[in-house]
Amino acid sequence: MIQLYHVHKRFPNGCDALSDVTLRVREGEFVFLTGPSGAGKSTLLKLLLVMERVTDGQILIGGRNIHVLRDASVPFLRRNIGVVFQDFRLVPRRTVFDNVAISLEIMGLGRKEIERRVNQLLEGLRLVHRAQAYPGDLSGGEQQRVAIARALVNEPAILLADEPTGNLDPDLANDIMNLLLDVNRRGTTVVVATHDVALLERHGLRTLVLSRGSLVEDRPRVVRPNERLSQPIPIQALRAADPLAGRSTQPLSRDTAGEEP
Amino acid sequence: MRHGPRPEYVVRQAAQLVRGSPWLTGVSALTIALALTLVGLFAMILFNAGKMMHELGQSLTLSVYVQDATTPAELAALDKQVRAHEGVKSVTMLTREMDRERNRKLLDPELLKGLDEAALPGQPVLEVEIDADLASRGDVQELVEWTRSVKGVQSVEDVEFGAEKLRLLFAIVEIARTVGLVLSIVLLSSAMFFVFSTIRLAVFSRRDEIEILSLVGATPGFIRLPFLVEGALQGLAGALVAMLLLGLLHLELRSLVRDVYMLNATWSLLPPGMILWLILGGPAVGLAASAMSVGRYLKV
Repeated sequence: MIQLYHVHKRFPNGCDALSDVTLRVREGEFVFLTGPSGAGKSTLLKLLLVMERVTDGQILIGGRNIHVLRDASVPFLRRNIGVVFQDFRLVPRRTVFDNVAISLEIMGLGRKEIERRVNQLLEGLRLVHRAQAYPGDLSGGEQQRVAIARALVNEPAILLADEPTGNLDPDLANDIMNLLLDVNRRGTTVVVATHDVALLERHGLRTLVLSRGSLVEDRPRVVRPNERLSQPIPIQALRAADPLAGRSTQPLSRDTAGEEP
Repeated sequence: MRHGPRPEYVVRQAAQLVRGSPWLTGVSALTIALALTLVGLFAMILFNAGKMMHELGQSLTLSVYVQDATTPAELAALDKQVRAHEGVKSVTMLTREMDRERNRKLLDPELLKGLDEAALPGQPVLEVEIDADLASRGDVQELVEWTRSVKGVQSVEDVEFGAEKLRLLFAIVEIARTVGLVLSIVLLSSAMFFVFSTIRLAVFSRRDEIEILSLVGATPGFIRLPFLVEGALQGLAGALVAMLLLGLLHLELRSLVRDVYMLNATWSLLPPGMILWLILGGPAVGLAASAMSVGRYLKV
């Protein structure tokens, strides 16, 4: 799903953020990206979102080389990549509903379809009662769930999360992680950048370690047959609403990621 | 699935931008209103002045006073020369008696009591009606030159025609046109600057939202459209206010022309085509200014 070949990123000030990074993330995989501050985690995510362009090397998403992607095609690639940030990045002037609806508004969906899909997802995320609230009225955990809802509402093939639990207390962080894991179980490829060692150890998932812009370790997933992955979260509610129905069997076209509709 | 945003989404977002800074938006709309009112006012004045000039030119009368000793042959030659001018509609010959009779009718009968009829002025005169297409001061000058040539004829004593008044009128119109043009350009530029600044502030205040929209896959057009619509809405609001002000000015000027200056002319509203241009001019000015602002400050 995501392939990087000898990727190099140098900023105009001469700083090398990434050097010769080669990696591959398979479709439906859950991968942690870790390393100390300044290791290049965020830069890598920015390259995947085409917020930055590679200096050298190639990145393929869904088989498509994004190095040669025209600027006009970038928005259509981004519609296949959901993104979640540590600071949530919700629009304070918009209600929870409208924040989640943004991803569908840009696709030009009709109001009824938008209402149906947003409400279904908010219901699954236990946020439906907060639909008309503003982000400033929500707790950190709620805000992050709204951000995840916004990232998922248009059913992207990939979900990128940059320190999604960084601003949350351990219980809420656990809640959010379980949500991401559940999203992954439904077929979405998930990449989570974090420097939370406890989080990495607790889940034992594949972990890519970056240091000073280089990929220094690729730890495979630890198989713990008798271990439950996490504390229970309202997955039943999520399943009942089934906002991601069809995701695992018919995900968004991986081959056409980044193509204009 | 459509490719662009739904119209109601764009309008809702534009309305939110207006709500975000109502005072600034109001001032921008007001400057557009003032600029368009001024443009409309000058257009109205020039349109009516042009109409008056045209009417004046159509009913212009020249009095060519002929010397007493003029022979019939000289008179015939003069008549021929005058008729040769293309604008001349008709030439009427008045004898001394006819001219005296005309003057007598012009005077108050009370004044004429006990007055010797012979004391009233009277002179043979050619009354020349001209249909001159007076569009500029040049046309008046041309007419003046022609009357000078008529005056140069030996048998002609004098030619009476309000050329100076006409020239003054045309000069005033031309000054009004220049002043109007300069003022309109200055005010329209100021209005555009206000809209430009309002949109720039709106863009700055929504930087976070613009970044998010871009990250979730909004096209540059989708992000820019509400800002452009806001500019156009400011322009439309300005145009509608300008129409109201122009309507009031029209009523005021019409009664001024009719009652105060007693001009033998009717004050007309601008033709529908011009009104339509003024109404469309508001959104066009707003759109152009916001497009400049968005192009400069909204980078996605």
